[in-house]
Amino acid sequence: MLPSPRSVLIGLVEVVRSGEVWTHTAASLFRIVFGFGAAVVVSVLMGLGAFLSRAVRTVVQDALAVLNSTSVFVWIVISLIWFGLSNWAPIFTTFMITLPVVASNLVEGVAGVDRRLLEMGDVYRLSGGEKFTAIVIPSTVPYLIAGMKVGFGLALKVSVVAEIFGVTTGIGYIMNYSREILATQMVFAWALVMILVMMATDKLVFDAAARRLTRWR
Amino acid sequence: MAVTLEVVDVGKDFLIPIIDRVSFTVEAGEFVCLLGPNGCGKTTLLRIIGGLEPPTRGRVVLGGHRVGVVFQEDRLLPWLTVRKNVELVLKPVGLGPTERRETAARYLGMAGLAGFEDYYPGRVSGGMRQRAAIARALAVEPDVLLMDEPFGALDAQNRRIMQREVRRIWRETGRTIVFVTHSIEEAVEIGTTLIMLSARPARIRELIRNDGRVERAKLVDDLNTIIMEEVERQQGGRLA
Repeated sequence: MLPSPRSVLIGLVEVVRSGEVWTHTAASLFRIVFGFGAAVVVSVLMGLGAFLSRAVRTVVQDALAVLNSTSVFVWIVISLIWFGLSNWAPIFTTFMITLPVVASNLVEGVAGVDRRLLEMGDVYRLSGGEKFTAIVIPSTVPYLIAGMKVGFGLALKVSVVAEIFGVTTGIGYIMNYSREILATQMVFAWALVMILVMMATDKLVFDAAARRLTRWR
Repeated sequence: MAVTLEVVDVGKDFLIPIIDRVSFTVEAGEFVCLLGPNGCGKTTLLRIIGGLEPPTRGRVVLGGHRVGVVFQEDRLLPWLTVRKNVELVLKPVGLGPTERRETAARYLGMAGLAGFEDYYPGRVSGGMRQRAAIARALAVEPDVLLMDEPFGALDAQNRRIMQREVRRIWRETGRTIVFVTHSIEEAVEIGTTLIMLSARPARIRELIRNDGRVERAKLVDDLNTIIMEEVERQQGGRLA
C-alpha cells in the first residue's frame, strides 16, 4: 500500500513545523557522530600502524576483511546482549559497520603512497615528520575522505536500523513507531528526511572538503 | 683541482653481478657522463653514488655530504606549488623562511621558471617540471649533482633545449655533475668526461676527456662502435 505523495508532503511539513524533525534527526546524528567518529579515529590509528610496519598492515587488512563480511544484524544482536536497550546499541553497531569501510580505504591509500616520492624525501634528508606531513598525509587524505563519504552514508542507514531496538528517539525509532500506528505516509516522510540529510552532508561536508584539499588537481 | 667524488672498486650484485668493479675519481666542477648499453647498471651505479643503494663491494667517497638528484621522473609533490617544492628541501639545509624563499626564487629563475613559481606541477609542461626538479636539486647547493636520464621523457626538441640549459647552468654554478644517459650524442654534447661502461657486469670500458681535441662527430662514431661491440658481446655471451 502506497500513501499519496500529497499525504507524505503534508506529513513532512507537519514534522518540520512541530520541530519533531530536529529532535529525531539530532538524536540519530548524535549517535552517528559517536559511532562513526570513533570509527574514523580508529581507522587513522590503523592507517598509521599500516604505514609504520608491513606486518601491522597485513594483520589490519585481514581483520578488516573479517569485519567487512560480518552482517549488520550480527552487531545489532551482539550489542543488545552487551549493552542492553540503550544508546550504545546503535553507536556500537555504527562503529563496527563503518570501521572496515573507512579503514580499508585509508590502508589502501597508505599502501599506495608513491615510494619514489619518499625516496626523493630521503635524498634531500627530510625528517620522518617532514616526510609524513609533506608526502604521506597529502597522498592519503583523498582516500580518507572517500572512505568517510561512503562510511557516513552507511552509518546513517545502519544506525537507523539499530534504532528500532530499545531507544525512544531517532529516525529509526520514529519510522518503526509510524509503522506500528499504521501511519505509512510518515514512514515515507521520514525516509525523505533521511535522504535529505544524507545528500546535504555529502555535498556540504565531504564534497566540499575533497574540493578544498585537492585544489592542486 | 680538488677531488670531489671518488668511486673505489664499487661492485653490486642482485642475485647476479650487475656491476663488476668500477673505480674513477671526479674533480670539482667536472661534468661526467656515464654511458653504456641498456641494462648495464648505469642507473644502479648512480644510485650507489647518491647513497640510495649500498654497494656490495667497494666504497664511494664524497667530498661533501650534500647531493642533489634529478631522476628520470620529476618527483615533484603535485600538491605543492613549484616554489613550495623547492622550499621544502631547503628546510633540512637549515635556512629560515625568508632565505628559503629567496633561494628558491633564485634557482627557479636560473632554471627559466621565473613567473611560474606559484603554479602546481600538474599545470605546467613536462619540460618545465623537469626544470623545477633541476632547480630543486641545485637549490640545496650540492657537492655533486646526480642526473639519471633526466630528459628521457622529453621530446627531441625539448631535449635539445634542456641539454643546452643544463650546460649553461653548469657553467654558471660550477657544480660537479654526474649525468647518466644512453644517448651518445647527448653525452658528447654536454659532458667534459665520458665514462663508457661495458655490458653487464659493468666495468669501465673507456674513459674519455671530451676536451675538443677529438672532433665530436668522430667521437660519436667511435663510441657507437664500442657500444655495439658491447651489445654483441653480451648477446654472444647469452647464447653461449
